[in-house]
Amino acid sequence: MEQELQSLETEARESLQGLSDKNLLEDFRIRFLGRKGKFSTIMRQLGTVSAEDRPRVGQLANSIKADIEKLFEERQQALDATAGRSNSQAGPDLTLPGRYPAAGRLHPVTQVMRETCAIFENLGFSVAEGPDIELDYYNFEALNIPAHHPARDMHDTFYISDSVLLRTHTSPMQARIMEVQQPPLRVIAPGKVYRCDSDITHTPMFHQVEGFLVDKNVSFADLKGVLTVFTQKMFKKDLPLRFRPSFFPFTEPSAEVDIACVMCEGAGCRVCKKTGWLEILGSGMIDPEVFKMVGYDPAVYSGFAFGLGIERIAMLKYGIDDIRLFYENDQRFLSQF
Amino acid sequence: MKFTLNWLQNYIDIQSLSPDALAEHLTMLGLEVDAVYPLYQDLAALKTGLVVSAERHPDADKLTVCQVRIGEELHQIVCGAPNVRQNLAVVVALPGTILPGNFKISKSKIRGVESCGMICSERELGLSNEHDGIMELPEGTEHGQSFIKAMALDDIFVEVDLTPNRPDCASVIGIAREIAGVVRKPLTLPVQNAVINTTSNDFSVEVVASELCPRYTARLIKNVIIGPSPWWLKKCLINVGLRPINNIVDITNFVMLEYGQPLHAFDFDTLAGGRIVVRTPAADEMSFATLDDAGRQLDADMLMICDGEKPIAVAGVMGGLNSEVTAATVNILLESACFQPVSIRKTARKLNMATDASYRFERGVDPDGTINALNRAVDLMCSIAGGQAADDGIDCYPGKKELAPIALSVARTTALLGIELAAIQIKDLLESIGITCHLQDAVLLSVTPPSFRVDIEREADLVEEVARLYGYNHIPATLPEVKLSYPEQDSDRLRRLAIAERLTAIGYTEAINYSFMSDKHAEMMNIPAGDERFDAVRLLNPLSEEQSVMRTMLLPGLLDNVRRNINHQKTAVKMFEIGKVFTPVGVNVQPREMTMFSGVLCGNRHGESSPLHYKQEPVDIFDAKGSVEFIIREMEIGRIGEDESVHFVVPEKEGGEPFAENGYFLDILFGKVKIGSLGKVKTEVLRRFSIKHDVYYFDLLYDSICQQDTLSKHFASLPVYPAVKRDIALVVTEQVSAGELLTKVRNSGDKLIESCEIFDVFQGAKIPEGYKSVALTITYRSPTKTLTEKNVEKSHSKIVRLLTDEFGGIFRNA
Repeated sequence: MEQELQSLETEARESLQGLSDKNLLEDFRIRFLGRKGKFSTIMRQLGTVSAEDRPRVGQLANSIKADIEKLFEERQQALDATAGRSNSQAGPDLTLPGRYPAAGRLHPVTQVMRETCAIFENLGFSVAEGPDIELDYYNFEALNIPAHHPARDMHDTFYISDSVLLRTHTSPMQARIMEVQQPPLRVIAPGKVYRCDSDITHTPMFHQVEGFLVDKNVSFADLKGVLTVFTQKMFKKDLPLRFRPSFFPFTEPSAEVDIACVMCEGAGCRVCKKTGWLEILGSGMIDPEVFKMVGYDPAVYSGFAFGLGIERIAMLKYGIDDIRLFYENDQRFLSQF
Repeated sequence: MKFTLNWLQNYIDIQSLSPDALAEHLTMLGLEVDAVYPLYQDLAALKTGLVVSAERHPDADKLTVCQVRIGEELHQIVCGAPNVRQNLAVVVALPGTILPGNFKISKSKIRGVESCGMICSERELGLSNEHDGIMELPEGTEHGQSFIKAMALDDIFVEVDLTPNRPDCASVIGIAREIAGVVRKPLTLPVQNAVINTTSNDFSVEVVASELCPRYTARLIKNVIIGPSPWWLKKCLINVGLRPINNIVDITNFVMLEYGQPLHAFDFDTLAGGRIVVRTPAADEMSFATLDDAGRQLDADMLMICDGEKPIAVAGVMGGLNSEVTAATVNILLESACFQPVSIRKTARKLNMATDASYRFERGVDPDGTINALNRAVDLMCSIAGGQAADDGIDCYPGKKELAPIALSVARTTALLGIELAAIQIKDLLESIGITCHLQDAVLLSVTPPSFRVDIEREADLVEEVARLYGYNHIPATLPEVKLSYPEQDSDRLRRLAIAERLTAIGYTEAINYSFMSDKHAEMMNIPAGDERFDAVRLLNPLSEEQSVMRTMLLPGLLDNVRRNINHQKTAVKMFEIGKVFTPVGVNVQPREMTMFSGVLCGNRHGESSPLHYKQEPVDIFDAKGSVEFIIREMEIGRIGEDESVHFVVPEKEGGEPFAENGYFLDILFGKVKIGSLGKVKTEVLRRFSIKHDVYYFDLLYDSICQQDTLSKHFASLPVYPAVKRDIALVVTEQVSAGELLTKVRNSGDKLIESCEIFDVFQGAKIPEGYKSVALTITYRSPTKTLTEKNVEKSHSKIVRLLTDEFGGIFRNA
């Protein structure tokens, strides 16, 4: 037994030497000092030792165990210290990148479209979508733009046939929804629109969000309020707004809305052509003729409508200088948003 | 509309406004200023000079050596112009000056004679095309001055982008009226409230098509001398970009810009019978030559101005060659008329002509203003061109309408605008731009818009005027008071957003392509005639061949995107698009619009993930299949499997999409309905898109995904007893599919089987040719007890036997 203890001591001291890994040290503790470890196994034999030898052997065993425990602790402290001192020598190279699967991106138009819709949804607007290919009636006639009206010059229209065309704006949804629903209405209609035009600021397809609110006692001041909320939320800034008289056959009064240039904040720069203002949307109070065509009484109801271009907003928000980039689907472009 | 501030100043005193302030006022009145800048800054360095001597060049017949005095200095300049002569006041560009067109003047020797600068022609100054000689300045022009100051060219140019409702502002006087409301000063007009005696019998006017011509007025001016216009008149036209032609034509253009009333001057002596007949053309008059020397094909409903025999002008659009004013013209018949806007617009459209006249007539000219403009032009023709005119003229006014007052409610105005205004304030605002108002009482006004405001017809139009004049920016911003209601959202749209978001999580980037495609795309994709995707909705006026039809599928666009990205060294492509495709259903009917959901995969599976942690390996068909499985599971729209709602089916031979590689293709079914497919794009198809890499795809009808309800969720109690897993490895012939093995196990009826999965398929080394090893893990569990070794063994050996019996498999002890 004494011999066994001594050889165990030698074995333990040798094993402990050169142990440089925390896991191996833990293995050592379990093997030698654990509840089922070698010391415990030997100690359980103490009962078989004669009564007079027992105190001496017991003492020896305890002192050996204490020595080993002391050595173990020293080793452990030494290892801890090393670990603390230089990560790089002992452990992995932590300057290497972490591991995660690369994700894709939503198209910037989708992102800005969602943000736009979310702002109006939070204001209690519902969202409706309509056909891309429209009837002349909804795209023009129902919006107080009869055939041969000069306002048709404002729309470079793609035609499918005499009476079928690619919608030039999302405004037909005003007529489509008012035809089948009664006020009060709070609706936005996002979607693709088409104009036969292509250059650095025009693509033949782009995205708009139409919005309208119809109720009793809706005023131009309300239109200003709602659009002010929108621009503040969209651009995350309290940018000044400017409402300018304009003309749309389906609103009266009509207004174009400018925001203080997001680049120079109104000081004047290349983006705003030195005016300090950027045009972002068209709006107005819904024309009584539009109400009459859907059977609403303009003496009872009033409402406002607005239409904004998503690409335009995205370009301003992100500083994109060529609208055509949106439709090239170049990953070097898409991955930036 | 273009004008200059000096021109505007003739009608309204704008001294108190800076150019920028004026531009700001116009913009805020709805007359958006596109440009405001000082003119002729590129001519600022030019000086006036006096030719003190002009001698023939010793060595060249056509050159003159001039001594030109410029203030204190005397310069020797060699000049080639025939009209250079002693005592002529001229424009001089000294060495160092840069003329328009980036033409730099420098000191030089011309045939051995030193020349220090250049005497300029109008063309060299960019003022006109006149280049027959140098520009002659008026006698007495002081030398040594700035040229632009001396000739009063230092003016500010303004361009306004007019909306179609404001034809009245397509005139300098129209702009002056608007500014009058700002500066609150009276207008000074050269001619107003003019009338003419209508007793003239030197000519006659007959308006036959009276519904197309509400008013036709004309006067005769005799004995005019055709020649160049005086400088002030030329300058007005040049400043706004018009080319001076001769005094008569220049006057008609000037008065059109001044009053907004297009005028036309006929050579009276060419008019048969001295008659004007306003009518549509007869059947044998359908060919007509306009002033621009172009042959025009007329329509029976086009309004023409005719003489006693034949058409002499396309009414409101352009005059005819046959009655044009020429250098030989002596007597002028001057027309000032008002035509029906829609008729003019149709004619101009059909003839593909857009003139300054048609622009104004289409939008509506002031029917009461024709005589003012007519008399103004006659006055100028008499004073400038030496003409003589009787006071008489002819005025046919079949479309005369009395101006009807409009009732304007103060309450409705203030409610619609959201501001407080009293009747008297509204009256004051409207009257500032010449709109007559009477207070009926404190709550109602009777408003009579002037005849030039053809856009004001209803109360709503007046409310806009009030808002405009009050200032949109003085109206407060408030939020509407509304009844709370729950806004219903379109679930299709929400699901689309959710799918897009989940796909980005597994590495897909969203593409948005044009809704157009090339009409060659269907063929490039091997789509045969008869296939629904072969016939596309065609645009009548496409921008290009590549965008000539509406797309019938999303994949061509996505393949174009793959090529573009590969060309830009981004060879790992995972892209998807959710968008509409269009199927024709008939003429003059809206096509059917369906939403598709498609994706393409190419190159390294892990894309932009760190190559340190993710092995670079190419995508294969299981990436495509996995993406579809992922979306179906994630969107909770169905369960995948033989007995479940969604199946992947290997089609019969020769089945499948024409653009997909045989053997690399699966149909996707929802119940019994095909909702799409996935696979590998054929090499021949890819070659047509100039893609050399392998591309996999999926293509789903999004609309049928949307028709499925989301799976309802039910909680299942957590198992109480442990599960036991057992593996089986079978060697079977290559023809046996993994799916068959799984189905067999799942359908075995053994209630202890909880799940079964394939964990390895292996061919090679120890497996004989034509065979493969398939390894399955079966999980056994009982809901009522802990399974013993014996229980499991009994079930497991039964399964092994079932499989080996069915598939002739050799049971391998791994």
